Amino acid sequence: MNIVVCVKQVPDTATERKLRSDDKTLDRDAADGVVNELDEYAVEEALRLKEAHGGEVTVLTMGPAKATDTIRKALAMGADKAVHLSDDALHGSDALSTSYAMAQALKKIGFDLVILGSESTDARTGVLAAMLAERLGAPQLTLARKVEVDGSAIVIERITDYGYDKVEATLPAVVSVVEKINEPRYPSFKGIMAAKKKPVETLGIADASVDASAVGLAAAYSEVAEFSAAPPRAAGTVVKDEGDGGAKAADFLASKKFI
Amino acid sequence: MKFILDAEQRLFGDTLHKLLAEADTPAAIRAWAAGSHEPGLTLWRTLAEAGVLAVAVPEAAGGAGPLPVELVTAFHELGRHAAPGPLAESVAVAALLDRLAPEDLVVTPGTADGWLAGIAEGGTVATLALPPAVPYALDADAADVVLTVDGDELRVAVPGEVRASLDPARRLFSVEGGDVVASGPSVRTAAEAARDMGALAAAAQLVGVGRALLDVSVAYAGARRQFGRPIGEFQAVKHHLANALVGLEYARPLVHGAALSHGSPDFSRDVSAAKVAASEAAYAAAKIALQVHGAIGYTDEYDPSLWIRKARALHSAWGSPSAHRARVLAALT
Repeated sequence: MNIVVCVKQVPDTATERKLRSDDKTLDRDAADGVVNELDEYAVEEALRLKEAHGGEVTVLTMGPAKATDTIRKALAMGADKAVHLSDDALHGSDALSTSYAMAQALKKIGFDLVILGSESTDARTGVLAAMLAERLGAPQLTLARKVEVDGSAIVIERITDYGYDKVEATLPAVVSVVEKINEPRYPSFKGIMAAKKKPVETLGIADASVDASAVGLAAAYSEVAEFSAAPPRAAGTVVKDEGDGGAKAADFLASKKFI
Repeated sequence: MKFILDAEQRLFGDTLHKLLAEADTPAAIRAWAAGSHEPGLTLWRTLAEAGVLAVAVPEAAGGAGPLPVELVTAFHELGRHAAPGPLAESVAVAALLDRLAPEDLVVTPGTADGWLAGIAEGGTVATLALPPAVPYALDADAADVVLTVDGDELRVAVPGEVRASLDPARRLFSVEGGDVVASGPSVRTAAEAARDMGALAAAAQLVGVGRALLDVSVAYAGARRQFGRPIGEFQAVKHHLANALVGLEYARPLVHGAALSHGSPDFSRDVSAAKVAASEAAYAAAKIALQVHGAIGYTDEYDPSLWIRKARALHSAWGSPSAHRARVLAALT
């Protein structure tokens, strides 16, 4: 089975994230880049499926040159090879044009199964899996907490507010996973050293047959009109218990319609 | 000389940091101190799977080493999380076994190779006494292999009573020599190599311990308020924290420099210089951490106590600063 895992480098959630004042895109130099956490679960699931069914795991990332750190980590976990879609023309792409560029790269790589994290910690749109499936003409199986493959049949458990839905499809397909699905492995020292020798192919937009006029900031349908820092958190209300603390707490909960 | 870690070394260190942070290491440390080894041994096996001990064992014997720079990178993280167990001791045993001449072996070569492979993959926990620098075998009750060296003889050690340590998570055992493992001149040189590798690992651990203490103290000074402002705004507190940082930043390149001189005639001298600087920097950071935290720093239930006591114990483990200073002096004159 030919599995492609899409991973994204995002600013470390532990540091302050900023937008650039000039073009209002994410300031990738202001924070350390880390692997989007949910993508680690996607890599882990791809590796488990490969271990169970054989095949090959390819990592695909779209991002600037420094996204190689993210590729290195996925390869150190055990993926076989990587494709890095990197081009200045892609800077500022929104979800729609990102899905277009990624779909073009996926068509070039070829796949039986595409696995993604269900959302990224920076943009948090959570739509890429659905958009990719549409562009690739493949079934979408999103928010999976469990994935099972049997021949060309794929079944997932899709988390819902009330439990889960069982969703079935036929490969090739696009799957997005949630953090309940597995426990990502830590790369071992041997894995880290082995990753150095694994092939990483860098594609520009021309290599992936991506139309330059359909990607980048100028082609984005969504536009950041304005942004400002989040207001500092207001001080809470301190209620002194003078024998009526319970009643005051109940009044508060009632005012918020909790009770 | 090149001090900057490459991308692979950084990923190795970052991975260990994440692994130890997610593993509830403080609970394993407390259990270890109470004589309950299972959580600590589970952590040990996870660390071995990640390659922490493989970098100390030669490739021919089933490891990935010897890789001293990767070793100090790993031990920095082990110190940063105060990981329990005879980690530096297992590294030293690996260095010792690797250097025994085949003709000096009394046990079968398969026995020694089995221990080495076991250390690399985590199934064998090893410790040793190397008097006078290492008079007691650390955590002998949790170890599968306990050794001791007396002159030209390497023996399996029979642990006696547990002794009180400054760090409750370091359980020290006096030992008596048992069956002979190896006998001959290579034992003496192997023991010297073991002493250097153990001291190097301990030095890296100390810098990590000091770093963790500084980080937690800086966070505390930013959160704890007195006289209407965070205590970190007071210059006296700032100076203390800056002094701790300067000490650690001076020690770190010495530790990395010693790792790089592995295999050169200066290795022993460089290890000693690194151990002196790391011991003093970590101990100073511990004292400052205690000052900055005030009374809560003395609280057993509060995690910084785990690092504070580790810093004091490692300060004199694997040779005191004065013993290492004497070695530097001897190498220079």
